[in-house]
Amino acid sequence: MNRKALRIIIILIIIIIVLIMIASSIGAANLSISSTAKIIFSKVWGIRNFIDISSISPQDMKIVFDIRLPRILMAVMAGIALSGSGVIFQGIFRNPMADPYIIGVSSGAAFGATIAIMFAKGLKFFNLSLTSLFAFAGAILTTLLIYNISKIKGKISILTLLLSGVALSSLLTSVISFLMIYRTHDLSKVYFWIMGGLTNSSWLNLSIITPAVVLISVVIFFYTKDLNVLSLGEERANQLGMQTEKLKLTLLILASLIAAAAVSVSGIIGFVGLITPHIMRLFVGPDHKILYPSAALSGGIVLLFSDTIARIILAPREIPVGIITSIIGVPFFIYLLVRSKRQVF
Amino acid sequence: MEKNISLQAQALSFAYNKIPILKGIDFDIEKGSFLSIIGPNGAGKSTLVNIISKVLPSFEGDLKIEGKSIKRLSSSEVAKKIAVVPQYTDMGFNFTVSEIVLMGRYPHLKRFKGENRNDYDICSRAMHITRTEEFSSRKYNELSGGEKQRVIIAQTLAQDTPIIILDEPTSHLDINFQIEFMELFYDLNKNYGKTIIGIFHDINLALQYSEKIIMLKEGKIFADGKTADVITRSNIMAVFNSDVYVARNPFTGRLYVSPNFNLRINKEKNISKKEIKIHVIGGGGAASHILNILHNHGYILSAGVINNLDTDINTAQELGIIFINEAPFSPISKEAYSKNLELVKNADLVILPGIEFGNGNILNLEAVYEAVKMNKKIIVVDGINISIRDHIGGKAADIYEKIISSGAYLIKTDEDIIKAIPEVI
Repeated sequence: MNRKALRIIIILIIIIIVLIMIASSIGAANLSISSTAKIIFSKVWGIRNFIDISSISPQDMKIVFDIRLPRILMAVMAGIALSGSGVIFQGIFRNPMADPYIIGVSSGAAFGATIAIMFAKGLKFFNLSLTSLFAFAGAILTTLLIYNISKIKGKISILTLLLSGVALSSLLTSVISFLMIYRTHDLSKVYFWIMGGLTNSSWLNLSIITPAVVLISVVIFFYTKDLNVLSLGEERANQLGMQTEKLKLTLLILASLIAAAAVSVSGIIGFVGLITPHIMRLFVGPDHKILYPSAALSGGIVLLFSDTIARIILAPREIPVGIITSIIGVPFFIYLLVRSKRQVF
Repeated sequence: MEKNISLQAQALSFAYNKIPILKGIDFDIEKGSFLSIIGPNGAGKSTLVNIISKVLPSFEGDLKIEGKSIKRLSSSEVAKKIAVVPQYTDMGFNFTVSEIVLMGRYPHLKRFKGENRNDYDICSRAMHITRTEEFSSRKYNELSGGEKQRVIIAQTLAQDTPIIILDEPTSHLDINFQIEFMELFYDLNKNYGKTIIGIFHDINLALQYSEKIIMLKEGKIFADGKTADVITRSNIMAVFNSDVYVARNPFTGRLYVSPNFNLRINKEKNISKKEIKIHVIGGGGAASHILNILHNHGYILSAGVINNLDTDINTAQELGIIFINEAPFSPISKEAYSKNLELVKNADLVILPGIEFGNGNILNLEAVYEAVKMNKKIIVVDGINISIRDHIGGKAADIYEKIISSGAYLIKTDEDIIKAIPEVI
């Protein structure tokens, strides 16, 4: 990685830290940024001894540390997962319209979550909500199913993958709609989950998601030069010595895993995984070695920003963060469509 | 297994959806050779390239790269030995030129390591050779077709392989670019010892640079060997089903082929022409066009006297016409002259094309004058004044005037010949 890339990444990390401070101080109980910073740094190993928290009430400590911070960090993690996964899917499909949900992660997760919400109410598994587990399982199973449908003679056709993804997604969406009409009393819960939100974030969820997202993201980073070569087309990549089938499979699994992990705790948050890679491509270019880390970190920034707005715009009521990302995302998406039309025709 | 063989195919077969594409191919390609594989669409050329570059990993038979079976080599090991230059394509993502060239190092890189000094050095050399360094920071998609192709070649050279396969990289380029690219690979072959295997649609491009040719037809090798042995009129007729004229370019000494476009149509129409025997005086290529026209119209032809290495000799040979020849650049001997007169005597009509006359071939003009004396019908192509074509101070013009005044039929261009014949006979 060159110096320019390193600089961009450091800047993005600084923005994330600053945004975490600001977001932690915003809310019903208004706290100053300095006291929020003190609260956060007082928990960081190595510098906690230098922080004086005598002036801060235990109640404020609790609000920031137990209520706001898990949600804020979850927004960052989910954003990193979704946007990073978006870069991978766009790279594999060589299609700017691809996003983490393109091969069934979202519809599978929604289906799993719907089942859990309707038929396994309030049940827990080692303190984890069954909704999340079912959503994760639904996402992974659907992706595997779509992958196997599109595998012909050991090769996956990208086009069949897209088509069967679209087909199976609409089937699952219909089943979900049917279930929602069948059991109207769960309708709003299911609907709220599908819209996406980070209200259920906890340190426990975070302690599972964070290592998974960080680990997978690091592994993916070592495949970014392969993605560059793959964008030359599969035949050319083959000629340059790539085992394209193996690579596609590896990357599809890794990208689906982090997307599923994010979706299982946050619901279907649209457009972060689609627009953030595009924005960053405008800034850093198409080289995945730089694009991947910077788009992933920017995804964290975008989702944290959107979630903070979702928390305060109708306070004390909250709106699903999916609405905010879509309101920002749709106009951009349309802009992309128009622009690509102009390029093609 | 000999050491200097870079590629060897043994009973290589491949079927796609049970339809056989390659049906038992054997060949040896020597290290450092420049070889072309030609054949019509569907002959299996692209499939062969895909097998050699391990894009298609499963096939029957064996293919050895420098003595090792490709089946036992990994994709990246193959990519370190063989690079393919494809036709350029546009890219979904707008990489810069240097980013694209750097991707050529892919087979040499380890998973957890980035590019090192050596990789960058090889890339800048590749960009230097292909003259892409001047636009190295520009976006690939914004380049012209020729520039994009140069970038793809640079990427291939960055692979730093002993074998380079050209998969029709020039067929959509202007002729100046085609020549530039071929010169580049010729240089890589001659001065860097690279083995070059070219897949070409354009036979002439293949002939210009290749020492050897493999001719594919319907998944089999139809002919394999030195260029001159493989490229013959009958082989091309058998493989491409087209009638061509094969000759040597007088400037380069290289073979070239040229299609005989109107042949088939005219033959069918005019095959039943009454059997008129025509003798055409040859030399300096002036007779070729007329011979071809008359041949297409089904006339019985003879020609003479023509010096060896003259284009007219080629034409007569290709068309299967009887001709009298003479050693290259020598004056016509008495012997050839009298043989020529035999043919004149035998003909109903003698044609004198717009030949230039010197001391060496004045006997050809004499032969026409003899034909006048024999009361033969004479047609003279009189497009360019004889005074310009006479290089021996009026001696040729004198005989020429005598021929004209004795009632020879004059035409202005070669094409007029067909209309002229019925009027004369």
